[in-house]
Formats: sequence, C-alpha cells, structure tokens
Amino acid sequence: MELSDANLQTLTEYLKKTLDPDPAIRRPVCSLTAEKFLESVEGSQNYPLLLLTLLEKSQENVIKVCASVTFKNYIKRNWRIVEDEPNKICESDRIAIKANIVPLMLSSPEQIQKQLSDAISIIGREDFPQKWPDLLTEMVNRFQSGDFHVINGVLRTAHSLFKRYRHEFKSNELWTEIKLVLDAFALPLTNLFKATIELCSTHANDASALKVLFSSLILIAKLFYSLNFQDLPEFFEDNMETWMTNFHSLLTLDNKLLQTDDEEEAGLLELLKSQICDNAALYAQKYDEEFQPYLPRFVTAIWNLLVTTGQEVKYDLLVSNAIQFLASVCERPHYKHLFEDQNTLTSICEKVIVPNMEFRAADEEAFEDNSEEYIRRDLEGSDIDTRRRAACDLVRGLCKFFEGPVTGIFSGYVNSMLQEYAKNPSVNWKHKDAAIYLVTSLASKAQTQKHGITQANELVNLTEFFVNHIQPDLKSASVNEFPVLKADGIKYIMIFRNQVPKEQLLVSIPLLINHLQAESIVVHTYAAHALERLFTMRGTNNATLITAAEMAPFVEVLLTNLFKALTLPGSSENEYIMKAIMRSFSLLQESIIPYIPSVITQLTQKLLAVSKNPSKPHFNHYMFESICLSIRITCKANPEAVGSFEEALFLVFTEILQNDVQEFIPYVFQVMSLLLEMHKNEIPSSYMALFPHLLQPVLWERTGNIPPLVRLLQAYLERGASTIASAAADKIPGLLGVFQKLIASKANDHQGFYLLNSIIEHMPPESVDQYRKQIFILLFQRLQNSKTTKFIKSFLVFINLYCVRYGALALQEIFDSIQPKMFGMVLEKIIIPEIQKVSGQVEKKICAVGITKILTECPPMMDTEYTKLWIPLLQALIGLFELPEDDTIPDEEHFIDIEDTPGYQTAFSQLAFAGKKEHDPVGQMVNNPRIHLAQSLHKLSTACPGRVLSMLSTSLNAEALQYLQGYLQAASVSLL
Amino acid sequence: VRKHSQHVKLFKNKGKDETTLRRQRVEVSIELRKAKKDEQILKRRNISIPLKEESPSLGGDRADELIIQLSLEKIVEAVNGDDTQLQLLATQATRKILSRHKDPPINQIIQLGIIPRMVEFLGRADNAALQFEAAWALTNIASGTSEHTRAVVDGGAIPAFISLLSSPHMHISDQSVWALGNIAGDCPLYRDALIARDVIPPLLALVSPATPVEFLRNITWALSNLCRNKNPCPPLDAVQKILPVLIFLLQHEDKDVISDSCWAVSYLTDGCNDRIQVVVETGVLPRLVELMDSPDLTVMTPALRAIGNVVTGTDQQTQEAIDAGVLTVLPRLLRHTKPVIQKEAAWTLSNIAAGPSQQIQQIITCGLLPPLVELLDKGDFKAQKEAVWVVANFTTGATVEQVLELVRSGVLRPLLNLLSAKDSKTILIILDTISNLFLAAESLGETEKLCLLVEELDGLEKIEDLQNHENDMVYRAALNIIEKYFSGEENTDLEPQTGQDGLYDFSVEKHDFNF
Repeated sequence: MELSDANLQTLTEYLKKTLDPDPAIRRPVCSLTAEKFLESVEGSQNYPLLLLTLLEKSQENVIKVCASVTFKNYIKRNWRIVEDEPNKICESDRIAIKANIVPLMLSSPEQIQKQLSDAISIIGREDFPQKWPDLLTEMVNRFQSGDFHVINGVLRTAHSLFKRYRHEFKSNELWTEIKLVLDAFALPLTNLFKATIELCSTHANDASALKVLFSSLILIAKLFYSLNFQDLPEFFEDNMETWMTNFHSLLTLDNKLLQTDDEEEAGLLELLKSQICDNAALYAQKYDEEFQPYLPRFVTAIWNLLVTTGQEVKYDLLVSNAIQFLASVCERPHYKHLFEDQNTLTSICEKVIVPNMEFRAADEEAFEDNSEEYIRRDLEGSDIDTRRRAACDLVRGLCKFFEGPVTGIFSGYVNSMLQEYAKNPSVNWKHKDAAIYLVTSLASKAQTQKHGITQANELVNLTEFFVNHIQPDLKSASVNEFPVLKADGIKYIMIFRNQVPKEQLLVSIPLLINHLQAESIVVHTYAAHALERLFTMRGTNNATLITAAEMAPFVEVLLTNLFKALTLPGSSENEYIMKAIMRSFSLLQESIIPYIPSVITQLTQKLLAVSKNPSKPHFNHYMFESICLSIRITCKANPEAVGSFEEALFLVFTEILQNDVQEFIPYVFQVMSLLLEMHKNEIPSSYMALFPHLLQPVLWERTGNIPPLVRLLQAYLERGASTIASAAADKIPGLLGVFQKLIASKANDHQGFYLLNSIIEHMPPESVDQYRKQIFILLFQRLQNSKTTKFIKSFLVFINLYCVRYGALALQEIFDSIQPKMFGMVLEKIIIPEIQKVSGQVEKKICAVGITKILTECPPMMDTEYTKLWIPLLQALIGLFELPEDDTIPDEEHFIDIEDTPGYQTAFSQLAFAGKKEHDPVGQMVNNPRIHLAQSLHKLSTACPGRVLSMLSTSLNAEALQYLQGYLQAASVSLL
Repeated sequence: VRKHSQHVKLFKNKGKDETTLRRQRVEVSIELRKAKKDEQILKRRNISIPLKEESPSLGGDRADELIIQLSLEKIVEAVNGDDTQLQLLATQATRKILSRHKDPPINQIIQLGIIPRMVEFLGRADNAALQFEAAWALTNIASGTSEHTRAVVDGGAIPAFISLLSSPHMHISDQSVWALGNIAGDCPLYRDALIARDVIPPLLALVSPATPVEFLRNITWALSNLCRNKNPCPPLDAVQKILPVLIFLLQHEDKDVISDSCWAVSYLTDGCNDRIQVVVETGVLPRLVELMDSPDLTVMTPALRAIGNVVTGTDQQTQEAIDAGVLTVLPRLLRHTKPVIQKEAAWTLSNIAAGPSQQIQQIITCGLLPPLVELLDKGDFKAQKEAVWVVANFTTGATVEQVLELVRSGVLRPLLNLLSAKDSKTILIILDTISNLFLAAESLGETEKLCLLVEELDGLEKIEDLQNHENDMVYRAALNIIEKYFSGEENTDLEPQTGQDGLYDFSVEKHDFNF
C-alpha cells in the first residue's frame, strides 16, 4: 500500500464502517466486511504508517481516535516476532514507527496519547533497549520542554515501560536494562522532581496548574518505586536526601485547592500521599540500613497524617497504606523505642486505631443492601485493604512488644464505649459494635476457618465478656432489633468457639436457632454458619463435641427454622443455610427420620426450583449432599424406604436429564448410584428403561459426567449384569464402546478400566465371549502406541482380575491366539518388570492372586519355553509382597495430568455422602495372598514332585527364597 | 527418607540437584548498588607526606612550594632534558601533584607524555632519589582508572618495577611493590602479565621475619591482588607458590597483614572446586575459622568470605569446613549487628544446608536453628533473603525428621511473614519451600496440621493474595499450593472446586470411605 491520498481515503471509509452500529455493515454476511478488509490489508507495507498519518491529520476526531485504537491493536497483535513464524511487520515500517511515535504521542490530545503510550510500551517490551536505543534520550529531552502535557505523556509511557521491574526476577539482562535506564533517566527525573515541586509552590493558587503538576508528581513517585524496587541504586542512595526530604514535605502538605468534594473517589493529593507511603515502606523493608536516619520522621508524618485524615471512603487506600506502614515498623526491635512511650501508645490507640474501627455509614449500607459482599468481607477475610483490617493489624503489631499496655489502654476504651451504649442503646449501638470489634482484634492472635481463634490474648477474659455483653443481646426478645449487634454477637460465638466453655455453647445453641428467623440476611446467615461450625467441633475420642443426644430437644425447631430461613427474602439459595442443613442431618442421624417426609418434599421442591437456573454451585452441592444423607440415614434403618425416595426424586431427575441441566447431571448420576446400590434384589425395571440412554455418546463427551456415569454403570453391572445379558444383550457393544472411548484417552483410561473390570467380574462369561479378543487387542494397541505408567498399572490389575475370573490357562490361550508367544512377551516385558508399580491394597491382592494362578495353574508355564519365566515371575511376586512400591515416573510423563492412582475401584468421591463402599473381588476367595501362594505351590509340587524344588534351589535368589520359606511355614505346608 | 527426596526431585525441584542448589558468589555481574564498602581496596594512591629523610636531596618547605609551582610545560622540558638535577625536581613535582589529597590531575599528567621517560628513570640505579620519585609518581598514576593503569603498563613499567623489587634500597622496593600491586589489581590480564614476568619469586623473597611491618603490609596487599579476579583465575602454579607464604602471613600478629592475607585466600577460594581444593589441602581452614571469630571486622570479614567460598564446593570440602568448626562460629555471626556480616554468614549457611542430610544434622546439632529463625524474623532484608535460601536448601535435602525439627524451631512464622517481601524471587523460593514442607507433612500424614498452622500464621491469606501477583511464576506457585492443600475446606473434602466451565471439578482422588 502506498502512502497515497487515495489509500488514506479508502482506509478512512473502512474505519468509519467499523464504527457503524449496524452489524450488517460492520460485518455483513457475504460481502467483504470492514473489519475483514482491515485485517486483510494489515500485512501490507505502510499500513501502520497510514494509520499514524490518519490519527495525526484526519479532519474528523472520531477517525483519529478510531485510527489510534486500531493502531494499538495492530501493534499488540503483530509487533512481537515469534520464533519460526514470519515477521508480520516489515522492517522499514518498524523503523518509521519508532522514529515517529514518541513526538506523535506527545503532540496528540489525551485520548489518543493514551493509546499511543500503550503502543509504545508494547513496542518497548520487545525492542527496548537494544533495538530502540534512542528512546530514552528522546523521552528525557522532553523534560526540558516545560510543557507538562508533554512531560506527563513521557512519564506515563516511562511508567508503563518500567513497572515490570517491580515483579520480574533479578537477571543480568534485566539489571543491564535498569542500569541503562538509571544512567539516562535518574538524574533528569530528580531534576524534574525538584522543578515540579518548586512550580507547585509558585502556582500554589492556580488550581488547574496544580492538578497537572500533581499528576506529574504521582507519576514521578511511581517511577521512583519501580526504579528502586530491585535494589537500591547508587544514584538514589547518593540523592536520598533530596528525595526523602521532598517526599516527607509532600506528606505533610495540604492545599485546599486540591481537596475534592467527591466522597468516594480518591483525589490527587490522596493518591500521591498513598504512593509516598508505599515508597517509604519499600525503603523501610528493603534498605533499612540506609533509610534508618529518615524513618522516624516518616513515622511521625504518617501518624500525623492519620490523625488528621477524615472518615470518607476516598481516604481508605491512603489510610490503610499508612496504617500498614506503621504496623510493619512497630514490629521491628530497633524501632520499638519510637512507640514505647505511654503517651505515644495511648495516642496511637485513641487517634489512629479506635477511629478506624468504627462502623461507618458505608459499612451500614453494605450490611443492609449488599449483604453477600458484606459477609464475604467480614467472614471470609477478604478485607485486606479495609481500614478495620489495617487497624486490626496495627493492634497485633503493637501487641508484639506492648501487649500489656495496649490491652490496658483498650480495656479502658471498651468500658467507656459499653457505658455509652448502655446509656442509650438505640442511639449509641455503634459504640458497642466498635467495642466488640476491639475486643476481637485484641484477643485474637491466630485464627483459622476450621477452628476459629486458636490462640488468644490471655489478658482478655473472653468468657466473661461473652456472658456479660454478648449473650444478653442474643437473649433479647426481638431477633430483629439492632441487627448489627446481633451479627457481632453471633460472630463472637463463632470465632471464639474454642475459647468459650462447652456449657456456654450449649446455652447459645437455642439462641442461634432462634436467630435463624431474623429478617436481616447477615444475621440469619451468621446464625446458620455458627451452628454449622459448632456442629463440626470435635470433642474427646474424635467424636463431635456436641452430641445428637444434647441436640434432641431442639431437632424439630432446628429443622423448621433452617428450612424456613430458606424462604426469607434474599436467602432462597443461601449456601450457609444449606450447609447447616447438611451438617445438622449428619450430626442428628436417625433422629431426623420422623421429619424425612417433609424434609425430602422441601428438598425436591427446592431442587426443582433451582434447576431452572442453577447459579449457586456451593448451595447446589450441599443440597445434593443433604439428599444423599436423607437417603442413607433412612435406608440404613429401613432398606425398603428406597422406593419412596425413588418415587419422590425420579420425577425431578427425569426433568433434569430431559432439560439437560448440565450442572446437575453428575449429581443425579451419583444419587442414582446410591439408590441403586441400596437395592438388595434384582435391578428394578425403572432403572433398566434408562440404561440405553446412559450409553449416549453426548453424555460421555462431557468430562464432568465421566466419573459419576462410570460409577452408575458399575452399579448397574453389580446389581443387574444378568438382566442386561438377557434383556439388553444388544446394548453390550454400546457398553464396550464406552469402554473404548475412555481407554483412548490418557486422562480417562483408568475410568475405562473400572468399567471393564466390572464387566469381567459381573457379566455372565458367555455374554461377553465374542468380544474378549477384541478387548485385548484394543488394550495391546494402546500399550504399543502410548503407554503410560497409569495405563500399565490399570492394565496389570485388569489382566490379573481376568486370570482370577477365567483362569490362568484362559489368559494364556487368549493372548497366544492373538499372536504367537504373546503371553511370554507380556510376562517378560510388562508383568515382571512393572508389577512393582501397582499400588493400593486391593489392587496388589488381585495381582498376587492372579500371578499365583499363572505360576501354579498354567501347564505351559511348566513345560514350554515359558518355563524360563517361572522363576523371574515368582521373584517379581515376592517383590510385590515385600519391596516398597516403585513410585518413580519416567521423565517424559511428568507433565501428564495424573489425576488418580488408578486401581480397581471407582474412587470417585465428589458427593461425600454418596460414597461407595470398598469392594474386594477376591475377598472371599483369598484372605492372605502369601499363604495362598504357599498353598498353591504346595499343590503344584504334589502334582509334579521335585520340579518346583529344583527350580527354586537353582535359580531363586537367596533373599526371596527366605521370604518364601516364611510363607510356607506360616501356611504349614512344605514342597515335595 | 529416600522416598521423600525422590518426591522432591520428581515434583518440585525437577532438574534441580544439590550441586545447583549451592550458589556461587556471583549471581549477576551487574550491580545497581554503590560499590560495597566492605570490599578490600583495589588500588591505592600514596598520598602520605614523606618524612624528610626519605627525600634527602631537597631542602625544606620553601623548596617544596617552589617546585609545585613549576608549570606543566617546565616539567615536560625538565623531564625530557639531560639535567639530572632538573629531572629529579620535575619528577618530584609531578609526584607531589599526583599526591594531592583531592582530584589529582592524572589525565593531564598522562597527556604530557612523560611516562616512558619516568619508566626510564626507574632504571637509574645510580640515582636512587630519581628512581624513588619516578616509582612513586607512576604508582599514583597506576592507582587511577583502568585507563590510567594502562598508560603506565604501556609505558613499559612492568619489567622495570619487577627488577626494582630487588633494589638495595628498601624504600624503593617498597614503592615498587606498591606500584605492582596497583597494576596487578587492575585486571586479570595485567595480573597474569606480571606473573609471566616472574614477579612472584622476588616478591616472596622480600618476606622474612625481619621485614618491617609497614613493608610487610604492602607486600601482603600486593600478593592479594595477584590472587584477585576471576575469568580467568590466576595460574595454578602461581597460586601454589604464593599459598605457603600466605599461610605464614596468616599467623602474623599484625591485623592488617592478616586481613589482606585473608582477602587473598578469599579470592583463591572464589572459583571452581579445583581451586577450593588447592586451598583446603593446605590445612588452613581451622585458622580461617579462628579468624572468622575475630572481634576485628577487617579480619572477620575476609575470613568469613573465604570460608563462605569454601562451602560452595563439594560435600567433602564443605565437610572440611564443618570439621574446622565453622558451625560453632556462625551463630555469633548470624547475630552480628552489621547487616553485611549477617548476610554473608547466612549465605555461608545456605550452602552448608544444601549438603547431604548428615551435614544438615550438624547444622541442627550445632544450634544454628535458633539464630537462623531470629535472623529470618528480625534481620536486615539482605540477610533475610539469604536466610530464606538456608531454609529452602534445608527443606530440599533434609530428612523428614530434620524438617520437623526445623518447623519446631519456629521457622514458619517469619518465613510466612516474608511472603509480603518486595522481591519476587524471595517469594517464589518461600513458596517452593512451603511445598517442600507439605511433602514432608504428607509423608507423616500431617498435612492437615500443617494447613492449619499455615492458616493460623496468616500464611494462607498471604498465599491467596499472591494469586494476584504480577509475576507469572509466583502466581502459579501460589495457585498450586492453594489448589493442592487448601481448596478442600475439611479433610473430608466436602467443598467442591469450580472448574473452568463453571462446574465442579471432578478430580478423581482416591479415598476409602467408611461410613
């Protein structure tokens, strides 16, 4: 493309079209679309230069902006030169772009400047410094322009180029670049910094000039952070006085003209001070030795800053940064003296900590209108940047050296705040909230989600506070009065549950159950969560601390209130409540049976409702867990009840399957497996009707379905193998097709083996006879083409299971019928060298019994060329018994996703309460596989006296022989 | 035990074996920092005003002033002229200009083109005063930048100075030693040029019990510069000649002599294992360890460096340092008030911790864990970073029992606190270390306990926060730990994970259920 007016015109037309709101023009179906056109020409030489020309010279502003955006995206897509791929921008264009872009960026209006600045940093990331050596000088020269629009453009670009120094690893390449930047940039930046500060005082009365100058200062402070991040550069060490003195005075500066009316958005002054706090914190952490002389000044300045900064949201970041700075400094032994004076401590507590713990209007708003967010922040601790959290960290920091004095100071505050509250609760309730928060942060030294507070400040009497100040609130007649205080109280129980004695917890339980009825979402959610946490506490002997017996008086009201809470506005899919339901079922066990009919109705109704639009994964999960629990608990006492569950659930399940509610299908399969396994007799026809549908490929394409579906098919095979063989024989190929599909995937092959194992174990032999050879061929193919450790482990378990089921001779015959000498090859190349890798008790047992059969019940092992493998195989078997498992994985397999230690059983376990029992297919046959080996060898030696003994004495290694003698002795047999 | 270390190799430190865990002194050759103040002086200028009797040919202060006022043109004229007296005056004037306290005009003097002539004066055995003044002037030129040193070398000064080592006048051979020291310190090329010209025998011959201590200091310093610099290291046979003398000097009572001898040994050990071996074989390690404990910083610093270098070597070499008692001295150094000493001591310990588990056991037995934990908690950041390496290496090579001991010593709290360090590499190493700790915990069946401990110490929150880190490797390491150990809320794993498609991830983990 030439740089001609005609081309500029064409490009303008197409750019205009890309802006057209009508998609038919933007992307019409048949003809060449505007976007397609641009893509098709972007490989041409001069294309980027045409864009640059347009963004500079076009008459229309929209075209300028559009060209700048298109240019940036073009650079983003094409600038990087990827190895082995063609260079997408020709060299002359690259040179021209680099030569023109900086002046162009600087002379453009802000909107376009931003795009070009982004483009420069993308190019810079690739080309700077080697392939763009004059970029720095070009930028630095602009500092002298005196035009702060230009200067800010340069600073912004520099910031986007240098900010990666903050997170990249130290390397020669990186440091060479930084050194180069420092050499060219540090001095001009310092001079600019000084000049800008001077200009700020000369323009102290000019609001618009100040705004521009402060934007520069913010960018300069950010650049300072990036350039000083990796290490303390010589230049900045030499000029620390200049920088730190000025940073310090900026921290203390205030100018009415820079104050903003906005309550939410941080203004320039706040942003600058916040960045300076970061810079000071960086130096304090990394360059303490050099920074020490300046640090006390910063502590004082930051502390004064905190004392004078208001409660508005716009100051939040500044305040939390500033408090965090103090928190990190006060923990250091050599700065202890800055804080230890009683007056200082009192003043920090009074003026910095207490005010920042207050419940603010914004918190109140969140509590009422944005409860979910409030809960997430308050309960799950995603409050890292909040003021309360920073204040809390400062308390903990101060307690490291001054626990006694700080506790003393705060006790006074807590008492006076509680008195204020007592005078007029309805006006002063926030004082009590702050008091509770203060006690909590003072008392908690270590905390986990699972146990709440695990280490407490011994100077605080938690139980006393609980009895005197928390319980009274929860005992009050109205559950809806002072909701914030109720939530505080419930949270107090929750986090101090391990500090408060059990009898107090038992007193609290009915109170918590009562608060499930509170209208406030936060309050009833906290009540549910607190109950759930109390129910998971452990007492002696690993049993639950709170027993079902102790809960007996409350069962009905607990269940009623929990389900009623799900009907409160805003809580219809409240995961905390659903989890509390699950936990209550699990704790109460058979005492819920009388309520099951009502419970299961409510659960199925809920299931039906949420299946229209599943949106709360945790809620849904606990709902299915609760369903599973209902089934297990009921059917344990009364197996016949399974039918009524099927009746209640199958209608909804059918709907879920028919509407293909993808989120729920894996759960449905699990619940169905659980139900099916409850049946003691032949498989009901309702299940058989579903069987063909379960083999539909569309179901197996979704990975989430595979484990539960395999599990379900296994349940079918366990309960209904003969029914399938007689009534659905035509579906057997389809079933094996599923096996084939699974075996083809490295990720799912173990699932295929689970299925295959069940088929071999349960199907009548004659029904799979015709497929057996094919099965092995398939497995051998996979073995040959892409063998992995996981596959081999599963394969070994399978062939041994086959051997157990069909006999060793059958195994040998089918192998050798596929290919002569195949059996010997598998023994030599797979079984003997790899058997040590098999893991899992049941799996090892299957292999032991299978190999014993090969050794003792397979005539060709005694009188053909396979005989030479007899001793190595026996040795491998003894190794399997005695040596530690071989868990090495070949190097090239390191990156395969090995999700599982594959074995015989389906170990799928998503729904904990739908869990499958362990199954040992050789359990009845063989109890102790070592003794079984001894007995089998004995039998063999009786059949051919002398042979076994002579093989053993000539070839078996001494250690193995010793083990074997042990087995023989234990079995009280000897060889002939 | 075996199993654990295998796991480590398989999953975490794939491809990272113990030899690469040992970290040589130089990681990056680029420095952003100011040149370190604790380094030995590389080049020195002679700025002391000489005593009168050393310049007998001149009379009084007035003459001094007069000479200094000689213009540069006059100097050139006189130096190039034939008048011996004027040559001496001009040379002396030059020397005095170059001995000025601040900003000596070395460039200007070089530009006068008088260096070859001065070198010539070095050969005037008949005129000791002229030899001395020329030697001094050239010494001071050579003390400048590499450019300046090159001017002296290019002027042919090397052979001249070497022959002056054997001058009958002690002050002249002293000055020559000084000049040669400056040249040797400039770069490996000049150092080796000196060695090739056989500087070592006459230099060593100057060392005797009778050598005055001032002179001996100068010789020791020059020797240390002959041992200095890498890429390449000094020739092996030269090292072998110097070493016995260094060992002798290490026994001297003067602390400057000891200090520079230690520096020399530290240079000789700063290299490949073969070079370390040469030093180890002299049996000097016990003496170095003794000096490491010296109250004098100028002695302790280089001794610690030398030992620090030795333990970057093989397991056997490290064992020699341990046998020499390094582990009994290190606790004091880890608690030293100077951050650089803390840092160097921690670096040394990190390389010992990279050894086999027997050596790690000795670290425990010698009581290194408490000072290590203190350092990790309260040390200067530079030292904390090294302490993190100690822990990382320790957890890689230690037995499960030893890891347990480490955790019992309270390492976890300060280690987790450092996850908020402003240094990506340190964070990544800590995350790797945490993974190592979890592997150990897993093998003891104590995973859940460790999870709780990490959470209690606010580590979980920090690791979660690191999932937003800009550095990709840090982010992935954090995510990996969270997914592996913290995604299930409880041991029964009731909490499902949400996969990419919004579904629960059905990771198929093996469990045996007994309800």
